[in-house]
Amino acid sequence: MTKKTIWVIDDDPIYQIIINKIIQRSEMFSTITTFKNGKEAIDALHDTILYKLDNTEVLPDIILLDINMPIMDGWEFMEKMGLIKSKFSKQIIVYIVSSSIAAEDKNKSKTYSDILGYLSKPVTISDLVLIASDN
Amino acid sequence: MLWCYIIFIYIYFLKIELSQSFQLVQMSNKKYPEFISWFLNKPKTTGFITFLFLSYVVGFLVYQQYQLIKEDEQREMNSILQIVNQNLEQSLKNCYTTTLTLALTINDKGVPENFDYVGKKLIESNNNISAVQLVPNGVIKYIYPLKNNEAAINLNILAAPHLKGEALKSVASQKMYFAGPLKLKQGGMGIVGRFPVFQNNKFWGFSAVIIKFNTLLKSSGINTVDDSKYYFQFSKKNPVTKKEIFYLPNKSDFSKKYHISTTIPDGDWKLYLISKHPNYFYAQILIPGIIGLILAALFGILIYTLLKIPEELQSLVNIQATKLFNSEIKFEAIFDQAAVGIAHIDSFTGNFIEINNQYCKLLGYSQQEMKERSFQSITHPGDLKEDLMNLEKLRDGKIAAYSMEKRCYTKSGAIVWINLTVSPLFKKGKKVTTHISIVEDISLKKEAQKLIKKSETRFKSLFEDSPIPLWEEDFSKVKNYLQKLNLVNETPETVSLYLKMHPDVVHECIALVKIIDVNTMCLHLHKVRTKEELISGLSQIIDKDSIADFTKQLIAITQGKKQLIIDTKIKNKEGEYRNVNLRWNVIRGYEKTLDRIIVSTEDITDRKLSENIILKSQQRIESLINTIDGIVWECDAKTFSFNFISQKAEKILGYNAEEWLASKTFWADHIHPEDRKWTLDYCTLKTKENLNYDFEYRMVAKNGAVVWLRAIVNVISENGQAFSLRGIMIDITTTKEAEKDLNDSFNLVTEQNKRLLNFSYIVSHNLRSHTSNIASIMAIIESSESEEEKDEMIQLLKSVSNSLNETMIHLNEVINIRTNIGLVSESLNLQQYLETVQRVLSEQINSKDVSISTIMPDNVMVNYNPAYLESILYNIISNSIRYSHPERKPIIKIKWLMENDMNVLQISDNGIGIDLVKNADKIFGMYKTFSNNSDSKGIGLFITKNQIDAMGGNITVESEPNLGTTFKIYIQ
Repeated sequence: MTKKTIWVIDDDPIYQIIINKIIQRSEMFSTITTFKNGKEAIDALHDTILYKLDNTEVLPDIILLDINMPIMDGWEFMEKMGLIKSKFSKQIIVYIVSSSIAAEDKNKSKTYSDILGYLSKPVTISDLVLIASDN
Repeated sequence: MLWCYIIFIYIYFLKIELSQSFQLVQMSNKKYPEFISWFLNKPKTTGFITFLFLSYVVGFLVYQQYQLIKEDEQREMNSILQIVNQNLEQSLKNCYTTTLTLALTINDKGVPENFDYVGKKLIESNNNISAVQLVPNGVIKYIYPLKNNEAAINLNILAAPHLKGEALKSVASQKMYFAGPLKLKQGGMGIVGRFPVFQNNKFWGFSAVIIKFNTLLKSSGINTVDDSKYYFQFSKKNPVTKKEIFYLPNKSDFSKKYHISTTIPDGDWKLYLISKHPNYFYAQILIPGIIGLILAALFGILIYTLLKIPEELQSLVNIQATKLFNSEIKFEAIFDQAAVGIAHIDSFTGNFIEINNQYCKLLGYSQQEMKERSFQSITHPGDLKEDLMNLEKLRDGKIAAYSMEKRCYTKSGAIVWINLTVSPLFKKGKKVTTHISIVEDISLKKEAQKLIKKSETRFKSLFEDSPIPLWEEDFSKVKNYLQKLNLVNETPETVSLYLKMHPDVVHECIALVKIIDVNTMCLHLHKVRTKEELISGLSQIIDKDSIADFTKQLIAITQGKKQLIIDTKIKNKEGEYRNVNLRWNVIRGYEKTLDRIIVSTEDITDRKLSENIILKSQQRIESLINTIDGIVWECDAKTFSFNFISQKAEKILGYNAEEWLASKTFWADHIHPEDRKWTLDYCTLKTKENLNYDFEYRMVAKNGAVVWLRAIVNVISENGQAFSLRGIMIDITTTKEAEKDLNDSFNLVTEQNKRLLNFSYIVSHNLRSHTSNIASIMAIIESSESEEEKDEMIQLLKSVSNSLNETMIHLNEVINIRTNIGLVSESLNLQQYLETVQRVLSEQINSKDVSISTIMPDNVMVNYNPAYLESILYNIISNSIRYSHPERKPIIKIKWLMENDMNVLQISDNGIGIDLVKNADKIFGMYKTFSNNSDSKGIGLFITKNQIDAMGGNITVESEPNLGTTFKIYIQ
């Protein structure tokens, strides 16, 4: 089984350090890329489309997406990605990872077909293993 | 009128006689030739011409006479003058001889010889001479007699100024010249005759004689002339002055008198003979002249008078003729154009001799047709007999004229009524052969009479059968009585007072009213059987109670009123009171006398009863309405103009019914301005739909208070058309206020709930992100195998702990704001605070070269918490600096302004702006940041908003990405 690539989009620097550790510990993913907000991530996606013809290698298999971020939040990122996903050579699976436990956010996430799950922080190794093995 | 016509007829038949005499006068005028008649027609001119002619004749005769007398006179005077002249000349000639003789005494040596002897002889021979002289070279050397003449010796006459001229003259002419008369040196007046003597053609001197002037005159015979008629004057022109000097007495100016003169050249003298009576000639001719003129004038007047007589006669005749002519025209016009028919009829046969147009027109025949008929043929058989009888009496002279109404047949066979007047044409004594008949069409009158009779009958039946009791009364005596009392035209108050004071007068008046007639209804009203019971007098009908109402009638009479309407009471025979509506009317034509008055007394007892019932029920409804705790009203469906409003209006809104009903738009005008439009629109709409409706709105009360009303409206319609609205307005102000309070507190609670929820969300979210981090770190530490990793995690844990602490501080701060702990407001100088904030931020301002401009009045004071104010200003201004646009110089503008009664502090920048389309709901949220700025914490605006909210204000934002942002802080 080939290891998958994962993107983490979150503005919390501590969380970024922690999630890096956890992902490494899980040994389920080949590469980890982190972004501070949706804008950075969507720009990276754009770049991938523009400069790499075969983007299978670069594009992530899984994205862990926070909701509340400056510049571009999780929801906006989803809208933007929806516009360009037809250009992707493979399907990208998104998991919402948020400290919010509001039902409102959970329900909203269900309206996006690309969002496969909603994880409440803290994220554990087993969560990641589950995600990785599910796909 | 008819008699006038008869007079004209007479004139007409008399005119022939007169016109004949008139013609005679006219003819007499034509006998003279035109030239003479010209004079005859102008007596004034003719008289004057005669006078002129005779005057001329007289003048001529008198002139002739005058000439004759004058010639005689002249002849006489000339002969006198001639004689005198001759005498004078004779004397002078003698003098000449004397001087010549004297000159001969001069010898060749120029010396006189025997002067005294010759002188003596000469004087003796000539009585006139008083002295002789010899004057060699102008110097008197020799005088005889010397006695009395010594004074003249050695007088140089050529040197003496008054003698020189005349002396030289005689030298020049070499002729003798008589100088003087002059005053002699010897005394007296004298004439000096000087004869120039030449020896060998050389002037030697003078030989002179001196003649006493008086002596000269005596010798001339002047004194012998008849001095009663004439007198003489003797003159000489002064040789020096050329002025004529007179020497005889009676020097008065005679130039106006008749005079003749002759000149004596030897002495340059002039001798005048003057008539003593200057007007003598005129006197001779004046009297005959005047008498002649008078005679001429008299004769002229005579002629004038004589000629005037026929002319006056002529004009008299002319006037008469014109009068006659005019009357003839008048008569003909009257006869032909008269509005009545006139005919000249044969008294025996009854045939029409002459007939005028009107007569013919009346009967429809032509003149010719009428002349072929007699009056009998056109008269109705029923009237003919009377007509003929009358005519016979007229013929016999038993009556002078007659007049009757009769019927005649017209040509078409219709009957006309005429009034006939017949009179004989000639005077009494003579037998009547013709007569004049004058007819007048009286068909209309007859018709009118018929109509009057009919209308009288109709009136009677109307009167009699009227459903209302009617009285025909005569108030003339009452009026006379009131007039006698001098009450007529007095003021109503005076009359009323007088009648009150004198009840007997009122009773007298009642007795004076005469009831002429009453109708059947009166009998019913008064419950009597016969009219007589009522007609006998008013006094029995008028009850004590109704005397006051009768007095009103009397007052009306004194005021000259023609009508009076009053409600009064009567008591009928059965003693029952009835209410009557009494109408007192003067019949037209009787306003002055009040002979006929119609009084109607309608029984209104039943009406009054129903009126009372209605009144009572109305009162009941009204009192019911007024007990309702709401305004009961009625208004027009189209205009909303109110026609009824209950008393509650005053209690609820302060306006009473009169105020409300006075203005048509009162209701609309007093609706609260914010509710007016929709209220009126809503009412109009609902009324149109014809549905009853209710709604709530506000009105403004008299004291300015806003009153909430609930209006319940009933639409009253007729034939599906709304014409009136009725309803009730209930004061719901207290309910409304309670409702508002409730709403307010509900809103407050909702708001607080929302904030609480929001806060709890914030708390959970922000705390959870830290706790989850802690949990994750702990999990890593637990499972970590290397010490290094553990240490790393513990370091991480520390920073999480710091973040958590910071978050806790923020939350604490927010809680403090929300709970208003320690919130003290003070009056603060805004300007001062702005300066403080700028000082705190001076480092950033300088490094970014920010320009801050402030537009606000000095010393703007705001009531604020000092810490909040500083924090708010700091947050917003620092935000503006932080998010300034990198490509331009940051400019911040601060303004103080008013918006909707709120003070506004407006802070605008030209920074990067915020996309409000995306971020409108987040901008004032906690931990919401919109940029990659590492120091953006997303807490400043959140706290600012909370602080502003806590001070009872508000904050709004307007922004355009890349253009700038404007914050408005509303301050209470």
